Amino acid sequence: MPEPRSNGDVRIGVYVCYCGGNISDVVDCEQVAAALRTLPNVVVARTDMSMCSDAGQALIETDILEHGINRVVVGACAPSLHERTFRNTIARAGLDAGLNPYLYHHVGLREQVSWVHQGNPQKATEKAIRLMMAGIAKARMLEPLEPTVLDAEQHALVIGGGVAGLRAAWDIARRGIRVTLIEKSPFLGGHMAQLETTFPAGEDARAALGDLIDQVVAHPLVTVHTRAELTGVSGYVGNFQAQITQQSRGVSQGFTHFAEAAEVCPVEVPDEFDYGMTTRKAIYRAYPGAYPDLPAIDWAHCDACGKCLSVNGTGLDLENKPATFDLNVGAFVVATGFRPYEPRRGEYGYDEHPEVITLPQMIRLLALAGDGPDLLWNGRTVKNVALIHCVGSREIPGVHEPQPDGQVNDYCSRVCCTATLHLATELRERYPHLNIFDIHEDIRTYGRGHEDIYTEAAANRVGFLRFHGDERPDVLPAPDGDSSPLLVRVKDYLTWGEELDVPADLVVLATGILPSPVDDIISLLKISAGTDRFLLEVHPKLQPVETAVPGVVLAGTAQGPMNIQEASAAASAAAAKVAVLLGQGSVKLEPFVARVNHALCDGSGECVAVCAYEDAITLQTVSDNGQTAQKAVVTPANCVGCGVCVSACPNHAIDVQGWTLAQYDAMLDALAAPLPVLESAT
Amino acid sequence: MATASEDMKILILATLSGGYAGADAVGQLHASYAPNTYILPVVCPAMFPEDFYLRVFERGIDAVLVMYSGTDCPYKGGAERTAQLINKVYPLMTERGIDTRRLRLVAICTVCTSAFMREVAQMNQTLAEIGPVRNELAAAVAAQASLSSDEVGQP
Repeated sequence: MPEPRSNGDVRIGVYVCYCGGNISDVVDCEQVAAALRTLPNVVVARTDMSMCSDAGQALIETDILEHGINRVVVGACAPSLHERTFRNTIARAGLDAGLNPYLYHHVGLREQVSWVHQGNPQKATEKAIRLMMAGIAKARMLEPLEPTVLDAEQHALVIGGGVAGLRAAWDIARRGIRVTLIEKSPFLGGHMAQLETTFPAGEDARAALGDLIDQVVAHPLVTVHTRAELTGVSGYVGNFQAQITQQSRGVSQGFTHFAEAAEVCPVEVPDEFDYGMTTRKAIYRAYPGAYPDLPAIDWAHCDACGKCLSVNGTGLDLENKPATFDLNVGAFVVATGFRPYEPRRGEYGYDEHPEVITLPQMIRLLALAGDGPDLLWNGRTVKNVALIHCVGSREIPGVHEPQPDGQVNDYCSRVCCTATLHLATELRERYPHLNIFDIHEDIRTYGRGHEDIYTEAAANRVGFLRFHGDERPDVLPAPDGDSSPLLVRVKDYLTWGEELDVPADLVVLATGILPSPVDDIISLLKISAGTDRFLLEVHPKLQPVETAVPGVVLAGTAQGPMNIQEASAAASAAAAKVAVLLGQGSVKLEPFVARVNHALCDGSGECVAVCAYEDAITLQTVSDNGQTAQKAVVTPANCVGCGVCVSACPNHAIDVQGWTLAQYDAMLDALAAPLPVLESAT
Repeated sequence: MATASEDMKILILATLSGGYAGADAVGQLHASYAPNTYILPVVCPAMFPEDFYLRVFERGIDAVLVMYSGTDCPYKGGAERTAQLINKVYPLMTERGIDTRRLRLVAICTVCTSAFMREVAQMNQTLAEIGPVRNELAAAVAAQASLSSDEVGQP
């Protein structure tokens, strides 16, 4: 890319956009341009009805060619909308004259001036002039910057083998990029495998999941490792070294006596697949048809008694031998999923009354219930079912008891309302004589087709009761003589606050969604979690699946509560980001990273101490004019440009390129300066 | 005595991932707030050393609202470091006779429109109460001069 024609001779082109009246209806754009025209280094100051139009962009290109403009400032809509547009404009302005695209500054005059000061055009105009003056002050100090271009390993590591991880792996592989998928548990599928049907269409969940798994594992570019975890990371986007640690399966191909081995295994533990409602042995498969098509040894519970070996030991090894291996990958997809909220003892009677279970347990109960005419629980026929919403969700700080970790889950888990009503409809269809009570704070069936599920439940004689968030229902033992063991006492606002006692043979708590505990992955990848503990994207709208760490993207419920449809969409978005990043074999990073002035650096290492990103800034021996000294050195690929090191440096030797302290000081000077005096005003 | 705040300047340092996008969201609502507000985008305010804020006030800018992303900051350690730095600025302001209410660190998210408006209104209310920063700077200079002349006059 050609350098600006005259770096030493700063020639600024300033453009004030009318935005079709959005700005000019409030801000006197002509007055702004006239004021800016008087400033040093400003060669042209123009207005246009629409700077982002072809004609508007051509205006800039012409000025670069004809007037030797080498810095450009545009005042227009928000930078998030058109900053990139104008960077591209100045870069392509003629083959010889094209400017470095970073010799550009964008000032937001619409969202932050005209749209918020409509009642005060004079002050809005003055503010626009000052903000543009600040932009010009920064532009005077802009330097050409070059993106960091790195070779990229066309290989992605997907962490998590649930539906989001599988979807992401499949989409990345289909774009011709190699994928390694690691799953912590011995089997693929995640929580979707525990469902029988999915809403809104009522599809067979495991069949859909099975199809996806089949596609993923059959793809020649995909490698799957179960019982594998990320245990080390170094490097940077395009060239990460990932250390994977894999526990033994204990069972290898050729083992054919699973049923007999499980039969003789003396260890019996609660089966997590059924949320503890059934048991399994220490040699187990999650569910029939699970992938891989091999059982696994539960090392936490197997006591290596060897009875399974006595059946037929071929393919069995009762010693866990964890293995570690390294992968060179260009990007990570974090698809670590969620865990259902588990109510604390006594919350709505959970763990105190055996008739209180969670929604995930209820789904498994129905899966195990068989085709009988009655729903049975602990040998009793269930006649009355109470479904209680928002358990572990939408908690109110100061009203509801915090979780053991001090957290109050004040967010909505989003999927439980529709899942609960989907369950209610299934209960009605399978057990027509049941009394079903839906006890909710609100009903949020927000997705396409989800409202139909609510309507269907209402039409199917599901009784609705509504409580207030600070007056949640109580689950109490029923008085002696009642036919149901429990009652749910609820102040029902659908009957204007009447206190009702709902009989219940079974109380189902619609529990919310918590993120999987992934502190180790957060620490290894240097990504962030929000106060709700879900992983954080850079920006919910502009960069919705990207983290602040280049090359690390998020997929699915690791990022927040989502249903399967949403998790799949997010996973596809993450895959698209990875494909764009790695598809060319090289990655181009924005140049807004730290830069050290070695003339000022005394090697104190303060910057290294405060930096949270591994190897982003290090002390190295540097030769300068025949002398060697310890100096801070930035590795641009590892630096995220946060600037923490800038404030830590006692010698002001560090800046973030494109956002330097000197540029901010210049902007402050401009904001503090008096407004230019216009000729017409004198 | 209360002073009109409209001629005093409020600098808003707003993070691209939080306050700046929040300010854009206020604009999209066409809500109205005082025009004495000058918003500069920042990646993360943890980059500003303590003396940066002093330079702001010395230029006659009357108040600073640092609208960062709080615990939603996408940069590891950025929020904590910002809070530490701001806490170190307050005693330096006091030393120079600058009212510490002129500097506030607030978490503003991309859709925190009400919070954005509230913070601007509250800061203007504070400015109406405490007046321009140049008065405090002038008083501090005068006090220093008086102290110096006392020292010179001592036998």
